[in-house]
Amino acid sequence: MAASPALDVPPDPPFKRRKTTPEPTSGTGTGTDSPDDSASAPLAADLADQLDSQERKKYVKGKKLGSGQYADVFEAHLLADPKKLVAIKKIKVGPEVQEFGISYDSLREIRFLQELHHPNIIKLHAVFSTKNQNLNLVLEHLPQGDLLKLIQDTQSISYTPADIKAWMLMLQRAIYFCHANGVLHRDIKPNNLLIAADGEIKLADFGLARPMADPYQPMTYNTITIWYRPPELFFQAQHYGGAVDIWSCGCVFAELISRDVLFRAWPENEINMVKLICEKVGTPTEENWPGVSKLKGYVTPSEIVPIKTRDDWLAVFRSIGELGVDLLIKMLTLDPRVRLTAEGVLRHPFWTAAPRPSRLEDLPRKGGGVEVMGDSLKQRGGELPRNGEANAAGVGRGDKVARKIDFGAMK
Amino acid sequence: MSRLAQSNRAAPVAKRDARTAGVGGAQDGELLHNNLERMNIDQQGDSTDNRPKSEACPVCNSTKYLNSNLRFLVNPECYHKVCESCVDRIFSNGPATCPIQGCSRTLRKHRFREQTFEDIKVEREVDIRKRVQAVFNRREDDFEGLRDYNDYLNDVEDITFNLINNIDLEDTNRRFEAYQKANQTIIAENERLAREEKMGFAANQKAERLLARERRDAARREEEDERREIEEGRRDVLKRLAAGGDAEKVTKEGQQVQLKKRLNKQAAAQRQQELQNAAGTGNGTAASTMLKGLKARPKKAEPEAPIDPFGGLRFTHKYFEMQDDYRWEGIQDTMKDVRHMAGGYDVRDFTQRSLVAAFSGLGVFAGEEGGEMEKVMVDEKALGTARADLGLKDSGMAEAPR
Repeated sequence: MAASPALDVPPDPPFKRRKTTPEPTSGTGTGTDSPDDSASAPLAADLADQLDSQERKKYVKGKKLGSGQYADVFEAHLLADPKKLVAIKKIKVGPEVQEFGISYDSLREIRFLQELHHPNIIKLHAVFSTKNQNLNLVLEHLPQGDLLKLIQDTQSISYTPADIKAWMLMLQRAIYFCHANGVLHRDIKPNNLLIAADGEIKLADFGLARPMADPYQPMTYNTITIWYRPPELFFQAQHYGGAVDIWSCGCVFAELISRDVLFRAWPENEINMVKLICEKVGTPTEENWPGVSKLKGYVTPSEIVPIKTRDDWLAVFRSIGELGVDLLIKMLTLDPRVRLTAEGVLRHPFWTAAPRPSRLEDLPRKGGGVEVMGDSLKQRGGELPRNGEANAAGVGRGDKVARKIDFGAMK
Repeated sequence: MSRLAQSNRAAPVAKRDARTAGVGGAQDGELLHNNLERMNIDQQGDSTDNRPKSEACPVCNSTKYLNSNLRFLVNPECYHKVCESCVDRIFSNGPATCPIQGCSRTLRKHRFREQTFEDIKVEREVDIRKRVQAVFNRREDDFEGLRDYNDYLNDVEDITFNLINNIDLEDTNRRFEAYQKANQTIIAENERLAREEKMGFAANQKAERLLARERRDAARREEEDERREIEEGRRDVLKRLAAGGDAEKVTKEGQQVQLKKRLNKQAAAQRQQELQNAAGTGNGTAASTMLKGLKARPKKAEPEAPIDPFGGLRFTHKYFEMQDDYRWEGIQDTMKDVRHMAGGYDVRDFTQRSLVAAFSGLGVFAGEEGGEMEKVMVDEKALGTARADLGLKDSGMAEAPR
């Protein structure tokens, strides 16, 4: 391991001020006074604090929707207009905050959500902090749960290829928008795809996102929830691009069709995942992926499974149609250079062919999802909701992902 | 007597009527204004006043009294009454003029039919109404509101009234034809919908009846099961008592088992009920959309636009054009570096980003942007897109209009 994961996204120093470093734009802040004695020096007290409390007072906090190791999620509404609902994600402060400040995940999330505004990306309305330096993210209120719940509820939810197309199209638009703006999401999975009241898919959890790297700037390969991780990351590639997200999207696509995780490695480790990918897609070799053997983590395979043919794929995913399978194959291509780009995916004829993607109001939905939203938002990235016990013991899947390593020494 | 005979025959006639009106609607419509013009003349004449007094055929003078099988037929061209045998005789060899004195319409045999209503005026009015209805078959859902729909109904009634009473015939007929020509597809579509509605209603009722029967059967089965279970429980208790268990304990246990079973069943029944309710509401909405029918149509018109996978989003660069290849060793080296390439690192992403960064802010003026920012703040709803626009502008990208 040449590069320390700490090299991965050292985000800009926290823009949201800490008390000792007043926001530069406020200009007047002298720093450390408490806002209470602002009567004597109303402006000089701390303009940032005033702005902060102003923002905070705009919302009326309601009941708790969910609570996790990492964050609590509350329902809230605007003071001015009680009909406008939002969700407030209150990031819990741990011991590491004292030393390091705000965790990278929240910083990344704030940083990217503030900049990316797209109908299929969760909206960050505002950020404010409370007395004890707690960060509060005011997020869009998404009451319909997440895509995973729909996939898993095989009893009462059924959906058609047109519905799958509609969902995937929304996801791909969000990804295209991210990539066009130079952002890698790096944690695409069904439970990060929340569903808005009108049925629209919203990409959430930018806790693992990062800007695309410059040449020779290494990125961590220890990212993306393991089931959705592309082969180049298992081979420890440190220079990669948007293709990693496309692989995850391909996994989501396949999961939507077959209603089961495509690469469900058990136990969840890299070796099993590589094995599974070899089994289901084919073994990566120099022929089908030039240069793969030069990657650091590449292990010369003992036996070679030939690349699966179109007919093999069709046999499993016939329900989505020939074009859908074609797109799926191109999204799950081993060689990331051959894999479609986000733009290429949108240019695929699958979207415009029949059946037409379902309209939003026709998409199946599952009621009573506010708690679900709380559940999804409170998680750390890279963590699956299915491993509750493991989490409680402090050895959740999230531990294996880069962001956790940043604080690994502290625990 | 004749009246009796006629009213007896009314039902089959009505059926035939409906058929001719439905199938031959288009032809009828085309001929309509000619007919009406002619009727203009006919009306003042014979057809109305000679009706009550004579049950004799005006052509051959045979009467009901002599021939009890005598049937009278009329032709919607002129509504003159002629007996069946005369029709056969005169029109069998193809079209001929009306045998009534002073009427020179050319009539065809296939258009003769029995009278449904005794009063020929009513007969004629019903015919006209049928034809008008076949063309002016707009539905309430086609209109923005009740007001518009009522206005439309009023217009239609005006036209109908004019046609019936021969007021402004030329003008009315022109309007009628113009409308028909302009709205051919909509007329056909509405006709289809009306037909479907009729069929859908019947199907729904059938399904409902089936469901009800199933429910009854299930209830009966459940009752039987319950009775059998109680019986079994009792036998079980007896058996255990016979085997020499503690009487009190055994009975208590037996009761508990019963109770548990009943609770389980109640829960199951409730679930069942819920399921049924869900299914019921599902049916309900289906039925209601079917009845409302047209509500769906404006929406159907919308998707005419082909799917744009990009959702209207395009990134164009105002200030530069991307080249495939850049002669800068930083890039060239990277492109040769196998570890970058094999990992899927795309140099174009980097060059594009650098270029965007280099040109970002050009053409954006602080004053304008401030104004836009304020606008964004005011309009919460547009917040997302407007900010995105801002961001794009900021980075030298422009968004195509949605």
